Amino acid sequence: MALRLTVQVQLVLQALLRDPAREMYGLELSEETGLQPGTAYPILLRLEHEGWVASHWEDIDPRAEKRPARRYYRLTAGGAAEASVALAAARRPKGAALRRLAERGGTA
Amino acid sequence: MMLRTMMPRTRLEWVERLAGAGMWIAIGASVFLTSAPLEWTFALAGCVVALAVVSAAAGIPRRRAGRKLVLRKGSGHSGLSGRDATDRPATEAAHPWRTLAAVSRLMPASGGRRWLAEAESLLAEVEAARRAAAARSYLLSAPRLAVMMWARQLMRRVRPGPRRPG
Repeated sequence: MALRLTVQVQLVLQALLRDPAREMYGLELSEETGLQPGTAYPILLRLEHEGWVASHWEDIDPRAEKRPARRYYRLTAGGAAEASVALAAARRPKGAALRRLAERGGTA
Repeated sequence: MMLRTMMPRTRLEWVERLAGAGMWIAIGASVFLTSAPLEWTFALAGCVVALAVVSAAAGIPRRRAGRKLVLRKGSGHSGLSGRDATDRPATEAAHPWRTLAAVSRLMPASGGRRWLAEAESLLAEVEAARRAAAARSYLLSAPRLAVMMWARQLMRRVRPGPRRPG
């Protein structure tokens, strides 16, 4: 199944691509993208199914840390490359469309 | 006037009302599509069950209003049990835990467990003012997520292929 690059998916990918080596957890991602956590979760799951993102539960003692374990996400090597290409491709038609609109607006 | 009082007031009531309507549409569709391929019958049956459970789950907080709520213990996986008493959500915000647990049963077992654990983990850390909105966002995305998970599971059974870890 091909991944649809909706605006929300692009936001998540952009956040992860800022530092592909960095692991981010759900709340962090939701704060960085401005998306609700319930919106970000299905996106992360789909990205994981596509092999673009890998995730794991952090190994901590919740009592000692006084917070629950987090699930961390990061881009895979292949995922980072594919995400960059896909994001660039997603931006291109929008740029062209905006240029056309601007040209039309300029002549009207 | 009568119509105005019958209108849902909260978002939860809207979800409940829409889920109820959706359930009847799904039942009607499944009656028409009984001769359709088996996968469609399964998918429609899943939708009917999902909508029924969501509409029932959406009504839980209202039915429980006024009663003393007993907070569920932490799942252990997410470590909610590690939180202290002051970290617990206020009584009115406690229902998402129960609702989330009920809704997670719509999903395939492993997917549901993971979704619930992650929701619990995040809701325990999110600031109190944003907790209700975050829980609502999880609940609202759950039916679509459940359909996505079951469809994936179904496709795996129909076309067994290499499995990805996780």
